[in-house]
Amino acid sequence: MSIRNLIFIGLFLLGMVIAMVPENTTKPYKLTAEDMLIEVQGAAEMVDADEVAHWIISKDPSLQLIDVRSPDEYQTYHLDGAINIPLSVILKDEYLDYLDQGIKMNVLYSNGTMNSHQSWMILRQLGFENNYVLQGGLNYWFDTIMNPQAPSVYSPNEEFAKYDFRKAASGALGGGGVVAMSAPAKTKADKPKVIRKKKKKAPAGGC
Amino acid sequence: MGPLVPQEIIGASWNLFIAFGIGIGFGFVLEQAGFSSSRKLAGMFYGYDTVVLKVFFTGAITAMLGLLFFSLFGWIDLSLIYVNPTFIWSAIVGGIIMGAGFIIGGFCPGTSVCAAAIGKIDAMVFIGGIVLGIFFFAEGYPLLKDFYMAGSFGPIKVSDVLGISGGVMAFLVIIAALVMFKLGELAEKKWPREEY
Amino acid sequence: MKTTYMNPYLAGVLLGLVLLMAFFFSGRGLGASGAVKSVVVSAVDIVAPEHTANSAYYSKYVGEGKSPMKSWLVFEMIGVLVGGFLSGALSGRLKWKVEHFPGITANRRLIFAAMGGILFGFGSQLGRGCTSGSALSGMASLSVAGFVSMMAIFGTAFVLAYFLRKNWI
Repeated sequence: MSIRNLIFIGLFLLGMVIAMVPENTTKPYKLTAEDMLIEVQGAAEMVDADEVAHWIISKDPSLQLIDVRSPDEYQTYHLDGAINIPLSVILKDEYLDYLDQGIKMNVLYSNGTMNSHQSWMILRQLGFENNYVLQGGLNYWFDTIMNPQAPSVYSPNEEFAKYDFRKAASGALGGGGVVAMSAPAKTKADKPKVIRKKKKKAPAGGC
Repeated sequence: MGPLVPQEIIGASWNLFIAFGIGIGFGFVLEQAGFSSSRKLAGMFYGYDTVVLKVFFTGAITAMLGLLFFSLFGWIDLSLIYVNPTFIWSAIVGGIIMGAGFIIGGFCPGTSVCAAAIGKIDAMVFIGGIVLGIFFFAEGYPLLKDFYMAGSFGPIKVSDVLGISGGVMAFLVIIAALVMFKLGELAEKKWPREEY
Repeated sequence: MKTTYMNPYLAGVLLGLVLLMAFFFSGRGLGASGAVKSVVVSAVDIVAPEHTANSAYYSKYVGEGKSPMKSWLVFEMIGVLVGGFLSGALSGRLKWKVEHFPGITANRRLIFAAMGGILFGFGSQLGRGCTSGSALSGMASLSVAGFVSMMAIFGTAFVLAYFLRKNWI
C-alpha cells in the first residue's frame, strides 16, 4: 500500500479513536508516596488554635480560613472571615484559585481534625502549597479559646500566660464572657512562611 | 509529564537549545517537502501543485492528534500548552494582508528562511521585505493600537466554542482535510506542470 | 535537472511530529515572523535607543534585563537555516538563483518578492503570527485564532490569485 494511503487510513482511524475515547481529565498527583510520608510525619502543616486566634485578632491579612464542612454546618456557625469549601467539592475548578495559590495562608478547619486533614492530604498531593490544618478543629477551639479553663495552681507559668491570652482572645472573638484585657500576650509562634507560588509560567508563544 | 520545560522537568536554560534543534527539524522537513520553492508554494492557488495543502494540513492534524493522545496517556498537561489568544479583528485583517503577501511574494516567513538557506535570492529579498513591513508596523503602532487590541477573546479553542470535545474536533478536521486532499489531487491532474 | 521532493503526506507527518516535540518540550508551537521581529527590534535599539525606550511597541522588548535576540524563535530560525541547508545539500538543491516563472523577468520577480515581504511583515505583526506560528501551531492547539488566521490567509490568496496569475502561470 502506498505511503499516502497508509497515512490516510492511519489518520482516519486515529481520528475515530480520539473522537470516541473520553478525555483524560484526571488531576495527577505531584508528590510521591514517599514524599507524602515524610511530610505527614513532620506534621508541619498543623497550626494550633492559639496561633490562629492571634492571627485573627491582629487582623493578619495573609490568613484565610477555610471551612471544609457541609454548607449547612457552615451557615449555622463559622469562624469570622472563613469561606466554605466542603470536602466533597474540593477538586472543582472554581476553588482552584483559593487552594492553589502563593499569597495567603489557608487554614483548613472542620469540627475535629479529621476532615480538615483529609482535605489537606489531597491538596498537598496535588502539589499545592500554603495550606494548613487547624489542630483540634472547632471542638478544640471552643474548649480552649472561647471557653478557656483556668489552669490549676500547680501549672507552670506558661499555662497561665496561655490562659490569659485565651481569655482576651475569646473576648475579642465573641466567646463566653471574660474580662477583656489589653493587648493579648504575643505568642511565640513563628508564622509559617507563605511559599510564593512560582507562577507556573504558561509559556509564551506565537510570534 | 510534559510539557517538560514549563513543568521544570528540564531546566529553562535548555529551552533555547531545544528551539535550535526543533528548528533544524522544521527547516529540514520544509525543504524536503519543497517549500523552498516559491513556485511550488504558489502552485497551491492555481491548482498545479497542492503540496502546501497536503503538508500543512497533515502536519497540523498529526500534531493535533499527537497532543490529544499524549494527553490521554497522561504524558502532557494540555492546560500548560500555549494556545494563541484570539483578537478577532486583527486576526482577520492581518490574515488578509498576509494572504496578499503570500500570493504576491510567493513565500511566508518560515519558508522564505528555508529557501534562503539553499540560495534562493528571491527569498532573501522577501525576508528584507518582512523586515521593512515589521518596521512600518512598529512605527505606525500608536495609530494601530486600538484596532490591534480590539475583539479580544483570550485563548479560546474552537472545540470549546462549538461545545465538542477536542477529539471530535480533530476527527472533523481530518474528514475535511481528506476531502480537500482528494480535491487537490484532482486539481493537480487537471493542471499539470513540470517539476522545477 | 529534475529534483525529487519527499512525499508530501510523509513530510506532513514529520512536520507534525516536529511540532508535537515543540509542544512537548517547550510547551509552545513553532513560529517564524517573531524571530524577524526580534532582529528588527534589536537593530532599531542599537541605532536609536531613546526611540525604542519611548515607543509603546518597542519598549515591550527592550530595556533592563531584556535581550530580544535571546528568544526561542530566534534560535529556532537559526535552526531552520541549518536544517534547510542540510536538506538542500543532501538533495543537491543548493544553488544561488532567483526562482521565477519563465514568463516574467527575474527583476519583476524580485520586486514582487519585496512587496510580498513587506505585506507579510506588516500583516504578521497585526495578525499576531504567521502561517507557522498562528495558523499551523494554532490549528494544532485548536485555537480559534489559528483557524481564523488560516482561513483569512489562504482565502485571500485564493481570491487574489486570479489577479496575480501573470506572475505564476
